[in-house]
Amino acid sequence: MTGFAQGLLAALLRDTPLITPQIFLMTVATLMLWPGDLFFNRNEKHKWAPVTLVILAVTAFLVTRVPDGEGFSRMFRMDGLTRGFQLLCILASAGAVLLSVKLLDSLKQQTVEYYALILFSLSGMLFLCGASDLISIYFSIELMAICIYILVAYLRDRATSVEAGMKYFLLGAFSSGILVYGISLLYGAAGGVTTNLADLNQALALTPTTSSLLVYTGVLMVLVGMAFKVAAVPFHMWAPDAYEGAPTPITAFMATAPKAAALAAFLRVFGTGFHGVSSDWVLPLCYIAGASMVLGNVAAVKQESMKRLLAYSSIAHVGYMLLGVLSGDPKAGAQAVWLYMLIYIVMNTGAFAVVIYLQGKGEGERIEDFKGLGRKHPVLAFAMMIFLLSLAGIPPLVGFFGKFYLFKLAIEQGFVTLTVLALLTSAVSAYYYLGVVKEMYFKEPEGEAIPMGAAQVFIVTVACILVLVGTAFGPWLLDWAGRIFWV
Amino acid sequence: MFTANTTLMLVATFLPVLGALVLLFVPKGQRRIFEIGSLITMIASLLLSLPFWFGYDRASDAVQWAGAWTWIPALGVKFSVGMDGISLLLWLLTTFIGPIAVACSFKSIEERHKEYYIWMLVLQTAMLGVFITQDMFLFYLFWEVMLVPMYFLIGIWGGPQKLYAAIKLFLYTLAGSVLMLVAILAIYFLQHKVTGAYDFSLASFQAMAPVIAQQSKTYQHLMALAFFIGFAIKVPMFPFHTWLPDAHVQAPTAGSVILAAILLKMGTYGFVRFLLPILPTATKELLPWFIALALIGIIYGALVAMIQKDMKKLVAYSSVSHLGLCMLGLFALNPYGIKGGLFQMINHGISTSGLFLAVGIVYERRHTRMIADFGGLSKTMPVYATIFMIMTMSSIGLPLLNGFIGEGVILMGSFQAFPWAAVVATLGIILGAAYMLWMFQRVMFGPITAVNEKMDDLSLREVLYFAPLVAAAFWIGLYPKPVMDVMDAPVRKLVEQVTPGFHAAEALAAKQAAAAKLGMQGMAAPAHHEAAPAGHEAAAEGHAAHEAPAHETPAHGGGH
Repeated sequence: MTGFAQGLLAALLRDTPLITPQIFLMTVATLMLWPGDLFFNRNEKHKWAPVTLVILAVTAFLVTRVPDGEGFSRMFRMDGLTRGFQLLCILASAGAVLLSVKLLDSLKQQTVEYYALILFSLSGMLFLCGASDLISIYFSIELMAICIYILVAYLRDRATSVEAGMKYFLLGAFSSGILVYGISLLYGAAGGVTTNLADLNQALALTPTTSSLLVYTGVLMVLVGMAFKVAAVPFHMWAPDAYEGAPTPITAFMATAPKAAALAAFLRVFGTGFHGVSSDWVLPLCYIAGASMVLGNVAAVKQESMKRLLAYSSIAHVGYMLLGVLSGDPKAGAQAVWLYMLIYIVMNTGAFAVVIYLQGKGEGERIEDFKGLGRKHPVLAFAMMIFLLSLAGIPPLVGFFGKFYLFKLAIEQGFVTLTVLALLTSAVSAYYYLGVVKEMYFKEPEGEAIPMGAAQVFIVTVACILVLVGTAFGPWLLDWAGRIFWV
Repeated sequence: MFTANTTLMLVATFLPVLGALVLLFVPKGQRRIFEIGSLITMIASLLLSLPFWFGYDRASDAVQWAGAWTWIPALGVKFSVGMDGISLLLWLLTTFIGPIAVACSFKSIEERHKEYYIWMLVLQTAMLGVFITQDMFLFYLFWEVMLVPMYFLIGIWGGPQKLYAAIKLFLYTLAGSVLMLVAILAIYFLQHKVTGAYDFSLASFQAMAPVIAQQSKTYQHLMALAFFIGFAIKVPMFPFHTWLPDAHVQAPTAGSVILAAILLKMGTYGFVRFLLPILPTATKELLPWFIALALIGIIYGALVAMIQKDMKKLVAYSSVSHLGLCMLGLFALNPYGIKGGLFQMINHGISTSGLFLAVGIVYERRHTRMIADFGGLSKTMPVYATIFMIMTMSSIGLPLLNGFIGEGVILMGSFQAFPWAAVVATLGIILGAAYMLWMFQRVMFGPITAVNEKMDDLSLREVLYFAPLVAAAFWIGLYPKPVMDVMDAPVRKLVEQVTPGFHAAEALAAKQAAAAKLGMQGMAAPAHHEAAPAGHEAAAEGHAAHEAPAHETPAHGGGH
């Protein structure tokens, strides 16, 4: 018995360094709730935002210091893929925190719980990025998602916010059930010995043909569960409502950080675990990706709410990124997805910063609120135009570079029809993005401009410059993306 | 890295956008500064571009002033620039039209001057960039960037239906160019499969032609169609032309001028630069369809132009017809046809921008463009009437003016290749004369109404911006040789790329024709001394000589 305990302790000591950032995050977030909450009085709660940013910076530093390795009974891996996507999640969270300051101030809703929940959720994402076992994937997803359910319903005085949280929670729980059921089927089909992705890949290859239907069903159910998490069509129904109802910084957060983590898991599950049975999932995933592009872009055309428009556009962007998951060369696919996600986080956070600026005076929900912004606030409107054109993939903005790299890979891997579809639907997307540009520049303004918060100015300026000049630094971007690898 | 000449070329290309950056910091109300500042920038760019006309080595078919700078080595993307005669002509046309487009806006643009002139300058650089790039990635970049300023120029300063027209232009062109992007990527990977290297350079793409020719028919046809649709939308060829009348009618005068003179030429330039050299086999196989679309465009454009009540719409549809003629020339795939097509692109740029400017003049004065609202203008506006007449004559191809030469050469080329197509095209030219002269007659002659009597003739500024166009029309009409010479070597190379052994076969045919002639005269003198120079002449003479190359070309080509 002591031998077992000693072995356990030795394993813990050996493996703990792999999850230092998560341990740090969880400890600090817990301390923030108590006794940290006592530090700032009721009117000083906004000071938690800079504190959170510092915590995020430390986490990012820790992530870069963690050595490569595998641990906790091979449930968690630290490698290039993990590190790359963990950094994306931290970046997206930092963006969300910066966006929150002014809005929560004006709503008088600053609390320490808000920031702590973001940190807890982030720790779930960090686990998810490196989860290499179906079980650890499942509990990381739950840790990440439960915090976000609460954040969506954060404005508890507002019916829409509560409704959005409820809807998201119910559908999220439902999809988790499907995911778990799929995992159990695969566990059984693989002989009931392993849920580790690498082992599963070998075990699935050896399954007798009599259980092929079992494997097929299991893989499809996992696919459905994961598609729910990234809001891919036809499992996207929760997204527009949840996006619309959530506080806008949380909408920006939901559109980027959890998606980055879920895509990392997507890449690992399908690139490693189900690589051997790719014939089971490639075709369904093709349909899911194609449907996301088409429906996301077509449905966005009709939207009058800016948040819903961005929600549908994020569904379409997930459709593009699934092209990378489809790639027969998982490493190249992961690099393209990572690059695209990085770029998407920058442009999306920038666009949400502008939406939140308009909300400062109770606007920004509707597209027509952008009317005449080009006259009232030329610099801001210019930045918004740059974000929107970049989202549409117009060169030379960096959004084009991300699309180019992703679509190049898809054509290389032989998904020509899907790529043509992706390109044509991105031409459709230009229509609704330009619709907003039209409001900003072609319509006469009403009312007066209001000043912006410092955090918003910072985000908009930095994001705009990055989007403008990003393509010129293509070699650097590719160099970073080249570090996204796993075995 | 770059030679001095290449640097100068880049400076001329990027000067407008630098000017735009400077103007960005001028406060909004300074209307004059924006007007004069952008005019000076455009003129400076024009002056910087002129030395290239004289410095161009007409004997060489190589890309001149070439320079390359590694950009994204992992993808094989280079910032690679340079020009041959074809690019040079269009590049110069762009720097030439730039100052005119700015000068004609001084009065017609009443609001938001700062944004307007900045967009004009950005657009100018994007257009100039398309003509100097030697890299497919860079080309695509410039090609798409062009759309954004045009979208704003139409969307903000356009007519009543401007929003619809602007988004239509944007989406049509975008849809076409994304298809082209797929084709570019597909060829890029094919190239990687064959050579093992990733390379976006234009030269390497053109060198792929023999490899592509060995691929499956479906592959080749899909590639050719993707390029074709991308460029045909821009030209625009029937049935992809529907965005053009909307865009032209709604655009401000300068927008129409740039659209007609340069933007449409991007499409034809694309055919010459990309479709023909990269996919010659597939192009030849699909040629009947392309020719048919060009012919439908010529006739349909002319017929629709004839019934227009709006002057601007009439000129817009005449563009559809004229560019159909350019395309017919290019698709003849022989030196005369291609040269004529290119030459006519320049002419169309001159005459149609002149016509759009002329329509803009009356619109500024009366705020209507309906033909029925005018009449007898030649009495009150004699200078205007004269210039309008010169531009009309240039457009319908009257001898001594530029249009005549272009149309003549195109007909020669297309007659060599497809006699029946040339006959149909002639019909289009006749129709063209009909609708243009009919419009001129209705606007300029007849009884004059009281409102029109009060219209002022051209001001000095207006005469000044028409003058270069009139001068160019006469110069090219009277002495086209310099322009033709610039195209000579590159077109020769292009024809050789499309049909390997074309010139050798032509020379051989001429030799045989000469020998036969000599034989009939009962003389046994050796014919090979005069074979080469006689080649062009004999081919031009028409039917008798035309028979020979038509039979000889495939035989000779097959021998290689």
